[in-house]
Amino acid sequence: MNHPIVAMILVGGKGTRLKELTKEIAKPAVSFGAKYRLIDFTLSSLTNSQLDVVGIVTQYEPYELMRYIGRGASWDLDTIDGGITFLTPYAKNGDVLWQKGTAHAVAQYFNFVKEHQARQVLILSGDQIYKMDYQNLVREHLLNNRQLTIAATEVPWNEAHRFGILDVDASSRVVGFEEKPKQPKHNLASMGIYLFNTEVLESLLQGANTAESIDFGQNVIPSAIYGGMNVGVYRFKGYWRDVGTIESLYEANMDMIDDQDFLGLNSSKNLPVYSKSLNLPPHIVLEDGEIKASIIADGCVIDGRVFHSTVGYSCIIKKNASVSRCVILPGCVIGEGAIIENAIVNHNVKVPDHFVFRPKQVTILDTIPQGGLVYE
Amino acid sequence: MNNLFLVIDATNKGSFSKLTRHRMPGALPFGAKYRLIDFALSNCKNSLVTNVAIFPYGNYRSLSDHIGSGDRWDLNRRKDGIFILPPKNLNLTYEDSISFQRMYEHLEYFVRSSQEYVLVSPANIVWNVDYNVILHHHLVQGADITEVLNASNERLRTFLLSKKTLLEYIEHFDSIKFRNLTEVFDYALGLRKTRYVFEEPSFIIDTPEALFRANMNLLDVQLKGQIFKQNRPIFSKETMSSPSRYGSKSFVKHSLVASGAVVNGSVFSSIIGRKATIHEGAHVHHSVVMNQCIIEKGATVEYAILDKETVVKAGAVVKGTLEHIFVSEKKQLVQTAEEITVLQLAVECVPFIKTGGLADVVGALSKELSKQGIQSIVMLPLFTKIKEKYQLFLELIAEQAILYDGVLRRASLYSYNDKQTMFYFIENFDFFERNNIYGYEDDGDRFAFFTKASLAFLDVLSKKPDIIHVHDWHLGLTPLLLKYSPNYSHIKTLLTIHNIEYQGIHSSDILRKVGLESLVYHGHQINYLETGLQHATRISTVSPTYRDELKYEYYSKNLVDLINRRDRDFYGILNGLTDQSNPKTDLSIQQRYEKSNVKSAKHKNKKFLQETMHLIVADDMFVIGMVGRIVEQKGFDIIFGAFDQMMQNDKIQFVLLGTGDAYYEQRLRQLEERYPGRVKMNLSFDATDPSFIYSGADVFLMPSRYEPCGTSQMIALKYGTIPIVRQTGGLNDTVEQYNPVTKKGNGFKFYNYDSRDLVFQIQNAYQYFAFQPEDWTRLVRNAMDASFSFETTATHYAELYRMM
Repeated sequence: MNHPIVAMILVGGKGTRLKELTKEIAKPAVSFGAKYRLIDFTLSSLTNSQLDVVGIVTQYEPYELMRYIGRGASWDLDTIDGGITFLTPYAKNGDVLWQKGTAHAVAQYFNFVKEHQARQVLILSGDQIYKMDYQNLVREHLLNNRQLTIAATEVPWNEAHRFGILDVDASSRVVGFEEKPKQPKHNLASMGIYLFNTEVLESLLQGANTAESIDFGQNVIPSAIYGGMNVGVYRFKGYWRDVGTIESLYEANMDMIDDQDFLGLNSSKNLPVYSKSLNLPPHIVLEDGEIKASIIADGCVIDGRVFHSTVGYSCIIKKNASVSRCVILPGCVIGEGAIIENAIVNHNVKVPDHFVFRPKQVTILDTIPQGGLVYE
Repeated sequence: MNNLFLVIDATNKGSFSKLTRHRMPGALPFGAKYRLIDFALSNCKNSLVTNVAIFPYGNYRSLSDHIGSGDRWDLNRRKDGIFILPPKNLNLTYEDSISFQRMYEHLEYFVRSSQEYVLVSPANIVWNVDYNVILHHHLVQGADITEVLNASNERLRTFLLSKKTLLEYIEHFDSIKFRNLTEVFDYALGLRKTRYVFEEPSFIIDTPEALFRANMNLLDVQLKGQIFKQNRPIFSKETMSSPSRYGSKSFVKHSLVASGAVVNGSVFSSIIGRKATIHEGAHVHHSVVMNQCIIEKGATVEYAILDKETVVKAGAVVKGTLEHIFVSEKKQLVQTAEEITVLQLAVECVPFIKTGGLADVVGALSKELSKQGIQSIVMLPLFTKIKEKYQLFLELIAEQAILYDGVLRRASLYSYNDKQTMFYFIENFDFFERNNIYGYEDDGDRFAFFTKASLAFLDVLSKKPDIIHVHDWHLGLTPLLLKYSPNYSHIKTLLTIHNIEYQGIHSSDILRKVGLESLVYHGHQINYLETGLQHATRISTVSPTYRDELKYEYYSKNLVDLINRRDRDFYGILNGLTDQSNPKTDLSIQQRYEKSNVKSAKHKNKKFLQETMHLIVADDMFVIGMVGRIVEQKGFDIIFGAFDQMMQNDKIQFVLLGTGDAYYEQRLRQLEERYPGRVKMNLSFDATDPSFIYSGADVFLMPSRYEPCGTSQMIALKYGTIPIVRQTGGLNDTVEQYNPVTKKGNGFKFYNYDSRDLVFQIQNAYQYFAFQPEDWTRLVRNAMDASFSFETTATHYAELYRMM
């Protein structure tokens, strides 16, 4: 089957900066906004852009992610001639082909691209929160006859040092690139979303198998730009957040609470963000439950106070418990009279009755410390 | 693998009125995010049943949309899986439960299924059950058929039996006397029957009130836990709503909130569906708010079921009560309750002039509407009889020359103020100064003129109507004339059909006469009722069942296509009882009575009846009474067919009062002669007092071929006389089959227009009368409990007006 565009989602990174949240699961499988997983946003954007050939390149803790995605039916990606393929490391002639860098993973599976006779390859990352119609990016790419188009968005100047920053001329051609500059000269950040013509990508990846490490941001993109290729930029406007750290994950959750119209999730007119359904009953608020400015997922039982928090599915907030400015991941129990503030409570944590946890800075609550009940 | 397959009976329509206009009960939303059918299908998955057939009636689009390929319940299989088996014969009308005839249409399915046992269960039960436990019970008991009841002894219309047994009934559906499994269980002899009582919560949902109660039950955490179990989840169609969002002004207690809902107002003891929005300052309590409803700022909703996408506008108030839940229609817009004015146009109205039930309805409705805060106006022709009686009270309001048939004709408008309701009369010498209402050659002209004149007089009314409610064919031209009137084309119209047999077919020249020359009309005749049905904003008829029946050619004849085209705007509202007679106050009966002394009083009244009618006087006689017109419609053809067989039981007596068709009267006289001392026919309307029969008979027979609403059966119920009726029209809506298990029901009914079925139900009733006195006492009590107040009828009309 001939598919003009093949998408490859890179989820290989260990996500160590998310600490305990990724101790057993891959970063894209981390929960967000009560009922979502990070990967939902990318998969939904793909299906909403009518792109249905997707390779997911993964190597750390792929089980949870694979089980979650399955054949991709929840995102309508289980088509007969397209669909989702997991591209995991394998052994070849006795050598385990452990992936060395993001681009290396793509190089290893280049046959996947060739099999579909794709004219372009869309490289995506699986841990960003945004909604994009990739067809707009493709249109810009074809219109300007680019060999490579990079999606980019303007970031606040004080954060620019965390990103790969692009230098663009008047014709939207990329003329310079700096990965995580100490003193950024611009604030147009690469989103890690690239559209390559297939032959261009193939040539750029030559020798990847022998290199020590090969990465898109570090190696491939600079060599395309400085190698004189026609590299364009697609300027994206809208909410976009890379949730690589605890802080950014927490803030994105808070953004969702504060913005009534966050990503248009509550409006039926917008393109939907799909998520796998878990056959849970709706949540119930009991006599003593009180919820203000919060987001609650299915299956919860709320009998305590919830303020400015997101509460994942199947959580139980018991009587007189109080939860403020928290991100409660699925399956947690907050015991009677417990007070939790400023925390990300990890999956399935059972907070004992009358436990108090009030850190100054956002902190993950994972294992309940032995000893006293108050942590401030 | 499993030795059981499931037949989901989705043929039952329940009595939901609005909620099932566009869907069947199985597709009804429940518990904020489910549909009723999810429970049956999830039970299949959890019981490892892989072969499922759904038998839907009519409109199953919504159901099949929800089920899809069945993969949500693991029912998308190579072998077996889910089958939706639609009705092949669209002329079968609705029944209480799936008939063998209906199953016979898909005989191949039953033959081909490889499992040995079959469970037949309705689509509208909320429960979490392992079907294998029922099978186990069936096998251990060595039964031929097992019925499932719930903990409060309610019948769940669920039966388990072997495929072999079921096939025998299906294959011989046209030669056995049982129509369905309930009848088999109740009446078949020589079968080993057992009952399995399901102790956990289960709700059979066939009315809006039952739907409401079952929803409220989910707010009980323990009960909820017994329905939504972690190890046996309820699966539903996957949707893509975001998690529920609460604003900073929200105040929610004791409620179930589905994903996608946005809550910023206050919510108590309610079920909030997917993507519903409760705005700031809105109050919702004790209500079921379905998907995508919007409750705007400051609105109040209590004791209501709001169907999908209902919008309650800012400040509007929706109030039901626990007994009478307010039910909105899908996509309904509920506005602030402004006062509305309704003008009824009719040719007869109590107390002014009456020939039939129409006058009662118009009169009672006008009175009740005023009580419910609706400005009620009625306009009638000033017939001679009215003029004679009311002349002194009439006040001349206006005079106009009305152009009709090229001639200017004088018409005068008189008013009569009856406290709340305003009555107007139109005087015209040529057309209305006659002794009778109907029966003249120029009836077409007379009523066309009345229509034109009444619209002309709208100019002088101080309060202009928002809605004109017209009755029967006589006013059928109103919606059309209104459409072409220069000032009033915005007024909405409701046309009520009281009996579709009378349509008013007249020369199409009438259109020219009323001034609509421009309408090119093909053909020589115009059908008043048809014209009305085409142009009215909404149409209605006098009972929900008659409404459904009119979709079939058997009932609506030439108008069947038109009725089906207007199905979305067609409502069935049951008439209340306008007859004031009451056994407690009825002076003409031997002994007056109420529920407490009905037993002894009935004996006396029966004895009196037997004496007056010169029948054998004996208390163990089973007296069958009949009151009404003697015409084909009333079922005399099957009475004649059944009579001799019925009278074989020498404990049966038959008393009739009525007048009508000479042919039938003659045959009735012959029967009277054949059974001296046991049959008495009173063949003129004043031969005896109907109250003697209502108070003295044991059962009241009404085997009508069709019956739009009917009042005699309601009077009989009030008098504790048990109705035996055919399951049609208003009879079906007022009489509920007695159920010996639940002790519910107030009469007996049969489905086929067939002497054999009639005899069967008479014998059935006699069995209770003679051998199960406790059940009979219960029946009489249930009958006297039934209330058919016109207030309820008016409430339904008022809701309909407000919706227009």
